[in-house]
Amino acid sequence: MLNSFRSQLEVYKINKSNDNKNNNGTPQVVPRIRRRSLPRNNFRGVKKEEMQRQTSMYLAYMTIDELYSEILYEILHNVGCDLSCEIGHTALFSYIQDAFHVSNEYHQTQLNAAEDREAPKILLNVEVMEAKDLAPKDSNGLSDPFVTLYLSSNLSRKYNTSVKECTLSPVWEEHFALPLTENVTDDSLCIEVWDFDPAESVKEKFGKIFDVKGVKGVRKLMKEIAVTAAHGQHENELIGKARVPLKTIPAAGMTMWYTLEKKNKDSRQGILKVRLSYSSKKNTLVAEQEHRHLLRILLLHELEKSKVAPHWWCGSFSQQGEAIITQHIIQSGLTPIESAICQWAIFTKVHRNHALSFVLFSNILDKLIKPLQSNNTISPEDTRLFWESTKNLLPYCFSVIRKIKKKQADKVLVKNVNEVLTIISKLLMLDVPNGFDLFPETLYPWISNREERSDFSIKSILIDAIIVSASGWFDYIVENNNKSDSNEIAKLQFVSQIMNLVRCDVQKAVEFFDKIFQQKVGIAYAKELYVCYQQKFSEVAQEIVENMCKSLKKLNFTGNTLNEESHKEPLAEGMKLFELYLGIKRFVLLGKGICPVDCDSFYINNFYKWFHGGVAQWLEIAVYKAQQRIEKAVELDELIPVDASVKYSSSAVDTLSIYYTVKVFWQQLSWPDVEGCYTFIAKMIDDICRCGVFYAQRMSQRVDGMGEIENVYENRFEVTNEWCLAINNIEYVSQALKPFTTELGMTEVIEKMTDLKSPLEAQRCQQTLNNVIDNAIDTVNNEIIELLETVISKMAPAMKRLLIEGAELFNQDSNSVDRLMMYVDTNLSTLNRELNEENFNRVIFMVWEQLTKILIDIIETNLEKRRPPSFYANLHKTLNLMLGSFKTSDETTCDGLSQTEEILRIYGLETNDLIHQVHLDLYDEYKKLNESPYGILTARAKFQGNNLHIEILNAKILIAMDSNGLCDTFVRVHIMPEEKFRNHEQPKTKTHNKNLVPLFDETFELTLTDEQRFMDNGLLLFSVKDKDLLGYNNKHVGEAFIHFKDIPDTEDPLSSLPQVHLELARPTNLDAITIKALEHRQGEKLAKEFLKKFKQRMGTNQPRISM
Amino acid sequence: MSSARVNMRPSSKNTLLKVVILGDGRVGKSCLMNRFVSNQFDEHSFHTIGVEFLNKDLNLDDCTYTLQIWDTAGQERFRTLRTPFYRGSDICMLTYAIDDKSTFSNLQMWKNEFLYYADIKENTPFPFIVVGNKSDLSSTEREVSQVEMETWCNENGITSYIETSAKDANNVQEAFRMAVRQWIKLETRADKNEIPFNDTVDLKTKHVEGRTSCCIGSGDE
Repeated sequence: MLNSFRSQLEVYKINKSNDNKNNNGTPQVVPRIRRRSLPRNNFRGVKKEEMQRQTSMYLAYMTIDELYSEILYEILHNVGCDLSCEIGHTALFSYIQDAFHVSNEYHQTQLNAAEDREAPKILLNVEVMEAKDLAPKDSNGLSDPFVTLYLSSNLSRKYNTSVKECTLSPVWEEHFALPLTENVTDDSLCIEVWDFDPAESVKEKFGKIFDVKGVKGVRKLMKEIAVTAAHGQHENELIGKARVPLKTIPAAGMTMWYTLEKKNKDSRQGILKVRLSYSSKKNTLVAEQEHRHLLRILLLHELEKSKVAPHWWCGSFSQQGEAIITQHIIQSGLTPIESAICQWAIFTKVHRNHALSFVLFSNILDKLIKPLQSNNTISPEDTRLFWESTKNLLPYCFSVIRKIKKKQADKVLVKNVNEVLTIISKLLMLDVPNGFDLFPETLYPWISNREERSDFSIKSILIDAIIVSASGWFDYIVENNNKSDSNEIAKLQFVSQIMNLVRCDVQKAVEFFDKIFQQKVGIAYAKELYVCYQQKFSEVAQEIVENMCKSLKKLNFTGNTLNEESHKEPLAEGMKLFELYLGIKRFVLLGKGICPVDCDSFYINNFYKWFHGGVAQWLEIAVYKAQQRIEKAVELDELIPVDASVKYSSSAVDTLSIYYTVKVFWQQLSWPDVEGCYTFIAKMIDDICRCGVFYAQRMSQRVDGMGEIENVYENRFEVTNEWCLAINNIEYVSQALKPFTTELGMTEVIEKMTDLKSPLEAQRCQQTLNNVIDNAIDTVNNEIIELLETVISKMAPAMKRLLIEGAELFNQDSNSVDRLMMYVDTNLSTLNRELNEENFNRVIFMVWEQLTKILIDIIETNLEKRRPPSFYANLHKTLNLMLGSFKTSDETTCDGLSQTEEILRIYGLETNDLIHQVHLDLYDEYKKLNESPYGILTARAKFQGNNLHIEILNAKILIAMDSNGLCDTFVRVHIMPEEKFRNHEQPKTKTHNKNLVPLFDETFELTLTDEQRFMDNGLLLFSVKDKDLLGYNNKHVGEAFIHFKDIPDTEDPLSSLPQVHLELARPTNLDAITIKALEHRQGEKLAKEFLKKFKQRMGTNQPRISM
Repeated sequence: MSSARVNMRPSSKNTLLKVVILGDGRVGKSCLMNRFVSNQFDEHSFHTIGVEFLNKDLNLDDCTYTLQIWDTAGQERFRTLRTPFYRGSDICMLTYAIDDKSTFSNLQMWKNEFLYYADIKENTPFPFIVVGNKSDLSSTEREVSQVEMETWCNENGITSYIETSAKDANNVQEAFRMAVRQWIKLETRADKNEIPFNDTVDLKTKHVEGRTSCCIGSGDE
């Protein structure tokens, strides 16, 4: 910066020497600056004549020599109290000589010429502003004050202000210019405040009597009346006066409150505010031009000398410089506004080569805004100059705005932006003159849509600048990060990178600049950026993401192989894609924060649609990763409860936390589309179920092989705590499913679905999700059951062995029964202690089921071996023992078990008992018969003491057994169990030939032992037979039972008892267990004969078919 | 239905089969499922959103199978939502409507989509079943003949096909039974391949029972 500045000065010097050559005698310097300044005014909207007039005027008046001479002259005639006293003329001369780069000789010549010139006509500008606390002079307690001004050197020339009526604190705000005389140092300004007293008649004065206030007022009025009456004329009364020595007034002027005093009076008469400044009578245009040149020369000089950094100089000249400039302002009669416009023009111009502080411009603007807003304060020339200069400055302002991105957002940048925006905000308060082209295309090539654009306001261009720079920066980062030959992952990385940069930029904008923009110029900076970026980013990203989602590499894994290597690429792709998704999601959130109102319209809000295909992949990855972690968790599980109060181990807790990472993923995803949400939740529940199954399988593999005891005596499986933990772990994980699904936000999704679709459809979705959850829980529970089954099936061999041993060793050694009991007891207690009730109940159920299976197996395999009934009886006993010990009361045993128990009981019976059982079963069976095809037997029986009386009365509707359609019938009574009644002959009736309704009418009496009399389950079997001619081949007509318990014990004669009608029946069922058991005892004579007879009893002929 | 299932905790392990029903929108997939599971038919049912799920126990040859039926949305816009559910399927039911030729023509697309997303290796036999729904319609409305369907199935190596009417409850149970049978057939064949020395296979009973202990793993295949 400084270098260019110097070179410019050199150009200036060269020009000067060139000019010197062209001139003989007096050196005539026409500095380049001025030439350049000519076309500067060549803007549109100025009349040609006016332009020419100005040109000629500048040519006539302006040379650097004249300016130099003028400055020297001004130094000689410095006014004001301050500068000339402090800084000697010498210092100023030397400063100005330096600044103008002139030789001593030249300086002397010019100085002499200046000294020869007449002293300047300097004016003292006085503004009488206001007064306060004036002493009341009129009878009404007020005054009618006015001010009179004059210089003590010239009493003849007095200046009066207007009269302010009836006030003690008048406001005048009137301006006066008093020409100064030669003797400035001794002169002083006199200011007098008077009470105006118009000519009034005595009568008029009396008229005011009612306005009089207080006794003092009455006295004053009386005095006035007296004076008026005496003189017949008015007389103004002095309120007070002040005297201001001119040497106390600083060159730059001042505003002061002066105390008003009055001779003979000590008290204050009031205070008066006055603004004082110097000025001179000069042509304003000339003065301004001079001033601009002076400013420029002095500024360049000072910048060169001080070597101040760019953007640093903010308006402070050296003392000398300041003095000279101030003097020039005064002696040229420039108003503060005019001098400010000069500063604006010059500083903006110098800024092009040496950046000045933006604060400087802002401060100058402060002085100019009001005058520029009011139409008449500033000349059209100055207004034009102001805007021309503004045109120079604005590109630098915009440049700062446009370069925000290229710089680090530090304090300096923020300060710069703040200052620039302050300037712009002030400019925004002004109207650009009609037709003035503030933004020519040469300076602003970047303005968009120039042809169609109607709005060329500063604000609109500023927004344009923001957008153009944002857009440019975006293109730049895209170009810089894009690698043409990149693979899929690199492409994603690229998009992510762009996203991150853009998001950071918007965040930076929010953090550092947005507030400033909003406050200063009312522009939502961050929003403008966001709107621009979201569009451009979408253009870049959408296609890449969509293509990526279409071509995602599949993750091939089955539940059993988790091979990291083969999944590296799809995993990396998926993760990158998800990172990008999250990145954009954050960006969208940011957008909602920045533009809460119109964010819905942003294209990027639908970004999730680009990722549609990706979600499935993420879910797959989530499952894959979950399974990997589960595998690890199971591997690391030491199978000890995580603490004393619980019964599950570390991997269960780990698995839950793995579930929760899936939940976190889901929350991060926060998928906006409701239908998608619903479906993905269904998928996730299903996936979690898959993980649960996977965990269960891994868990069961983990404990497999535990609890196997091998020693010389036996191989045995013992339920261990590890097995129980494994089961509990799966249970724990399964129970977590339901709460997990709630946490996925299912309810919210269904609610949203209700709004979006219809309550009915939402309900269906809800139903589906419930089904999926139930199914998932069932599926995992299925795994628990499988594991329980494994445990029980592992116990089976030991149980079987012990059972067989126990059964073989008969009653004399119950040791193995004890061992079995102990084995089952130990394992069940372990299970009971470690498992929850539900699973323990399942176990018990399974134990019985298993036991049934074992027993059936034992029975089947041992039937061939012709085990004695005691073998089964022992098994039966053992089973009952176990049922007694382990069966919980309220539980329903499986059908198989009670059946098996019955089989064992029957198989365990001795043959006699077995046969009696057959009859007891028949007794039960016959009781249920309603109508007999074989006929009815009438009989009765009674006990009397130990005597059994039986009476057989008759039979009717007998089935015909013989070819003649009749029967040769007799009845035999078997008392059962037969082996217990062997001492008695079986009662038998006579045979009634060829008779279907035989009347037997026979009674029998048997004397029984006590034991026989009170036999449990004693039975009378009435067997009705058809007698064969030879008596060898009697046919069985039918049979009936009377149970001992149904026979009355009475003294009454039989004839008084009711007749019992017995429906005759025949055995039908050869498949009964009892019969089967007997069949397995064919080796026994008893069994064999019984079966033979039993089959005879069943008969062969069809009922009711006569031959 | 489901609420009953929760209380009815199975005390023994079932064979779980995941069934996916695919086909164009409006061919009546949901109706088939609802008819099969709850024997209900709703003339004016909605489009399925994404997926629907029901399960139902089915007894076949003394064996209980729990069918986990995923009914999918046929509309194209649900494609990315339904495809994740294909993985791990045991049975795929391809459906069309006999009164709509285009739904039949799309079977190939559905089959391919399924094979791709379910991750079925090429040339691996998979239990597909082709179901032509709306057989209750009069012959004048029919656009796809049974012969055409059989031809297509033969060309695609699919041996199970059936025409159903979810409305009249015609052949619906049969369709699902047929599907399970097809699965059993392929499973036993797969077993046979694993045990090469055992070459006499009783298709109906023994091997099916043998499978129950290990088919649980199929959920992850």
